[in-house]
Amino acid sequence: MKRNTPLITLLVGAALGVILLVATMLATPSSALPASYSAATASPAPSSPAPAESSEAPEQSAEPSESSAATPGQSSTAPAAAPSPAPTRTTPTRADFAGRVGGGGGSVAVAVHGDKAIAYVCNGSTVEGWMRGKVENGKLTLTGKNKAKLTASIHTGTVTGDVEAHGTDYSFSVSTVSKSSSKSSGLYQATAVVQGKTIKAGWIVQDDDTQIGSLEIDESGRTAVTAPKLDVATMTARIGNVVLHAVPVSGVTGSGF
Amino acid sequence: MTAPPTQPWPVPRERTTSTAAKLIVPSLIGALVALALGIYGRVHSPTGVAINIAGFSSPGTVKSWLATGATVFAIVQVGSALVMYGKIPRVTAPEWIGGLHKWSGRIAFLLAVPVAIHCLYALGFQQYDTRVLIHSVVGCLFFGAFTVKMLILPKRGLPGWVLPVAGAVVFTLLVVIWLTSAYWFFSTFGIKR
Repeated sequence: MKRNTPLITLLVGAALGVILLVATMLATPSSALPASYSAATASPAPSSPAPAESSEAPEQSAEPSESSAATPGQSSTAPAAAPSPAPTRTTPTRADFAGRVGGGGGSVAVAVHGDKAIAYVCNGSTVEGWMRGKVENGKLTLTGKNKAKLTASIHTGTVTGDVEAHGTDYSFSVSTVSKSSSKSSGLYQATAVVQGKTIKAGWIVQDDDTQIGSLEIDESGRTAVTAPKLDVATMTARIGNVVLHAVPVSGVTGSGF
Repeated sequence: MTAPPTQPWPVPRERTTSTAAKLIVPSLIGALVALALGIYGRVHSPTGVAINIAGFSSPGTVKSWLATGATVFAIVQVGSALVMYGKIPRVTAPEWIGGLHKWSGRIAFLLAVPVAIHCLYALGFQQYDTRVLIHSVVGCLFFGAFTVKMLILPKRGLPGWVLPVAGAVVFTLLVVIWLTSAYWFFSTFGIKR
């Protein structure tokens, strides 16, 4: 029997793992997920086919033919944001855009709310920047900390332009995000105070549910690290003893403006 | 444990089973363990939350300290193994070194299990950046490699290099796991409980 002690070690470890897994599953029933934020971009809990979120902004005009199709029966896997939407007004008053930058090294999201806009660009690591600014005649001119700037123009559901953050230049052309209530694509931010420093996280969630996020480790915004994963079901992310509560930055709903 | 291939003539089993034959079944089981963990982590949709352990401020700190503990015991493993193999000059292996090696290994393993369960259940197998991808892959490989080491330990007649190599692989994987998790966590958010 002495020879089998390594096997016993393995089995004890496996048993411990199973016990912990079962205990964890019992302690976190799927129905106990906290209510998500009421904004249109918040996703419902995965276990329940939630009723349609009713807070879609009536002023939405970027993709009139698509937005009316945002019903609860819509498949959650269908890529909803068509890259070539029907011609419409060239200057939507309220719309959210997101996509990957040229070269794919990062993502950019632009939220347009009337004549104001907020944008975020990040590479999921050290390069990122928040920008704010004005929309005039379909032209966006946004600036942020550490010389971050974005210049772009809006044409038929697409924002095309250049963005620079932390000394890195990207060109981009991104489309409106899906407005299906079953999707959580869009821009999210969260701030918290950790060890006396105000940290700010930003996440860009694409229509295919991939996400990318960076975290500014203090108010200066000079240094960023990879953000913890945003759980879009609970709209939370965890770092250490801090639970970050993400809120959407949406031009459609005006959240974050 | 291994069923040797049927021999055309009767011979003592221990002598004729080749090194490869002794290693193949443990290696396959270890590969299956690693694969199973990876598939579970990929398929199970991560919850983001899990039960916490008393005395710590958050799952992140619990995991970081447990992983650090496991790594410290793993360093004891390497040290005690070097002594047992007589690789430390002017140090003769004391009687208790075997016990130290066994128990430090058991404790390290048992410390690592809750961390892995939390990773798999709450976070899943992820690949959204290089650190996370490396951590996900190596985390699965570690438990596979540990399984292999435990299964080949009782086998007799293995070449002398097998156990040191297996131990070195397990140790290296654990250190990579620690560097891509607890070290990153502490260096990003500060050392705290």
